[in-house]
Amino acid sequence: MRGAVATSATRVAWARRRRAVAGAWGDYRRSRTGMVGLAVLVLAGLVALGAPLLADEAELRAVNAIDNPSWAPPSEFPPLGTDNLGRSVWAQFVWGSRISLLVGLAATVIAIVIGTVVGVSAGFVGGRFGGLLMRGTEWFLVIPFLPLAIVLAAVLGPSIENIILVIGITSWPGTARLIRAQVLTLKERLYVDRSRAFGASNRHLMGRHILPNVMPLVLANTTLTVPIAILSETTLSFLGLGDPSRASWGKMLEEAFHAGAITREAWWYFLPPGLGIMLVVLAFTLCGQALEAILDPRLRERRS
Amino acid sequence: MSARRLLVGLLAAVAILTLAAGAAAQGTGERLILTVGLDNDVDSLNPLVGVEVPDYEVWNLHYATLTDKAAEDFETIPGLAESWEGSDDGLTWTYTLREGLLWSDGEPLTSEDVAFTINRAREEGWLNYDSTVANITASAPDERTVVLESSVPDPKLPTMDVYILPEHVWGELGPREITRYDGLDGVGSGPFTIAELRRGEFWRLEANENYWGGRPAIDEVVFRLFNNADAMVAALQTGEIDAAHYVPESSFAELAETEGIVAVEGQQGGFDELAINGGDGLKEPHPALMDLAVRQAIAHAIDEQTIIDRVLEGLGSPSEAMSPSADPEWTPEIPEEERFDFDLDRARELLDEGGYLDTDGDGVREMPGGGRPLDFVYAVRTESQSAPGVAEFVSGWLSEIGIATTQQPMNDTRLTEVIGRGDYDMFQWGWVPFVDPDPMLSYFTCDQVSADPDEPTNYYNDANLCDPEYDRLYEEQKVELDKERRVEIVHEMLRRFYSQAVYHILYLSPDLQAYRTDRFEGWVRQPADVGPVMFSNSSPSYALLRPVSEEDEAAEGGGEAAAATDDDGGMSTGTLVALVALALLAVAAAVWVLRRRRTVDERD
Repeated sequence: MRGAVATSATRVAWARRRRAVAGAWGDYRRSRTGMVGLAVLVLAGLVALGAPLLADEAELRAVNAIDNPSWAPPSEFPPLGTDNLGRSVWAQFVWGSRISLLVGLAATVIAIVIGTVVGVSAGFVGGRFGGLLMRGTEWFLVIPFLPLAIVLAAVLGPSIENIILVIGITSWPGTARLIRAQVLTLKERLYVDRSRAFGASNRHLMGRHILPNVMPLVLANTTLTVPIAILSETTLSFLGLGDPSRASWGKMLEEAFHAGAITREAWWYFLPPGLGIMLVVLAFTLCGQALEAILDPRLRERRS
Repeated sequence: MSARRLLVGLLAAVAILTLAAGAAAQGTGERLILTVGLDNDVDSLNPLVGVEVPDYEVWNLHYATLTDKAAEDFETIPGLAESWEGSDDGLTWTYTLREGLLWSDGEPLTSEDVAFTINRAREEGWLNYDSTVANITASAPDERTVVLESSVPDPKLPTMDVYILPEHVWGELGPREITRYDGLDGVGSGPFTIAELRRGEFWRLEANENYWGGRPAIDEVVFRLFNNADAMVAALQTGEIDAAHYVPESSFAELAETEGIVAVEGQQGGFDELAINGGDGLKEPHPALMDLAVRQAIAHAIDEQTIIDRVLEGLGSPSEAMSPSADPEWTPEIPEEERFDFDLDRARELLDEGGYLDTDGDGVREMPGGGRPLDFVYAVRTESQSAPGVAEFVSGWLSEIGIATTQQPMNDTRLTEVIGRGDYDMFQWGWVPFVDPDPMLSYFTCDQVSADPDEPTNYYNDANLCDPEYDRLYEEQKVELDKERRVEIVHEMLRRFYSQAVYHILYLSPDLQAYRTDRFEGWVRQPADVGPVMFSNSSPSYALLRPVSEEDEAAEGGGEAAAATDDDGGMSTGTLVALVALALLAVAAAVWVLRRRRTVDERD
């Protein structure tokens, strides 16, 4: 019989969660900017995932583009023209979106995981241990990002994994502080006290009450961290610290800049990656803001 | 309180007056400054050890040489020495110095300085002097006479083009100190002397009042570094700089058409090579590269013409053998059967025969019998405009024959170090040879293979290959007075060197330069008609430059204005539309986000 009760409790919990998600989605749908952001992201995701269908990977290599004209404008070599070495800009744009998004997302995952673990432990455990963690966080926070990232990228060597690692381990402190603040308010709530009085262990409290309640905040924070990570990837690639063997939007900009695309006014070379970065970053920001507005009651729109 | 106020007032007055005075001084004593833009930093201004092209430009201006080189054809002409005479056997040469020579600090420049430089260079084997003075003893019987005695016949004499150092400054340095000296004392004998060096930014030379050829017409030469070639071109177009060295291929044609700017394609035998670690230095490369067949396969996998067409935009010419001199007669033709022509099938065949097979099916071959994959580290110079493009092509072709490459961007200082330590597989770099082939040939002797782990950069052999037969031929040509025979020996050496496949010549590249005509005139090309106007063998332009006279300037100004309007019209409509669209989009996005924020706040 106990089993049956437990099952139905789980079912009830799931039903509640589904309702909550449906409610949140309803709120989200009402946000016009959020929907625009989401649409752009879906499109970018489709381009990245469908890269093999949209352009042949072999076109990325200059040795396979020997028959193409170099510096050809889009009118001569549709859809986006060619670069100084005759490579198709479209192929680079499409395949570059993969690296840019991958680095953005993967670095964010690292940052969010570190940030959440540090934030929750510092907030929940508190005391000397929490203080120590927060001092460590502040130490990371005051280190200027770019020099640290440049040094790390130079020492570790230019590869996609290292770029992800570098961005990941330099962009978690903000998240950690945010999560800690939330945990500090959560752990003083009545239901936590009540649960503790019933004899709940720290593990139970953390897993059942604290974590599920910071998760929405983590989600909103994630969508706001991704654009920063993408911009960081662009910055590092532009400075020549990216993976030289893989096309990314940042690397395209770097190559266009060094090949003299600007003096040559080869706008088809530098505009696509530039616009791509701008749109994706904007879209993530719009989504993040829309989520924030739903999750933060102070920003929530009153229902009529 | 009032006293303090008075003090503040006084201080302010003093400050204003000082500023005004400064401004006035600037207005009256306007200095004629020539600014040259370039993208390559100096590595050391010590003429014993520096190796980079910009170093030579500074030394050419800062130090005079015993004999000079004619701007037209490199012919040996009087320098510090006004005349010379040889003995019948050609071993002893007596030079007479000009009268009243002075260093830039006012000290007399005598035959003692010349003897000091040559003798100490020989005794201590100074890196940049050794190939010229190794067999020469100098003596100074009186203040204006220098006698050079060569222990062997020397085809280069009476040319003596090593930089003469001031004994009263350099004589105080010990043998170890002298190679580490920064060379920034400012005491020189050329038309300009070094006054300031800020690494990564600029270096500045001032006119030498005591120059034997007379004080130059311009007061200062400033070399300004640019990280980006486009920015350098823009600076030239706006008149921020007067001349630019290493103009990018992509903007060369445009500059050539611009009124008021002269673009120069300067041929002086400069080339770029793909060097492979020969393994005789301090460290061995990937084991596969120790196999001649693998190196030959790599050579077969490179299509120089495509690199010239694509990366250099056609501004370059192919060459099989290395060019050791500004004069093309020293460069041999490689017979067809010995050539490593572009042939990917032949390259694959060589690797297959050597047992380098792709046993695990990942597209990359492994060492015979499996094991370590053929993945080579390829150092890509960050200070070169062509390196990334060349690397893209070379990596592409190598991957087609089953060889992987890991590209490692490196700046010149780091790459020099890495080469000295032998800690690399391959890299692309270039040389600009001198007039006599001897120095360039000397770089690939066994002596020049890095052997001292403490001073790994005090060696030249960046092929890290030691071939005793090459050394024997080198010694032979060094003492061959018959020019025809010497050319033959040099050709044999270079064919031999070519066959080792450690030094793959990618192309002969002209120095692309451009200068403005509105402020200075009198640029000369060295050699005449085909050479560059700067960064040439003895850099004669700077001392000859003079300000454009007033009437000329007016005419030039008109031309410049016309050029400027031309430029504006040249901006393509596509770019304009695209930029405007981008700006509008950004503004719209910002407004949107801001409004959204505000309404959220209002709803609060």
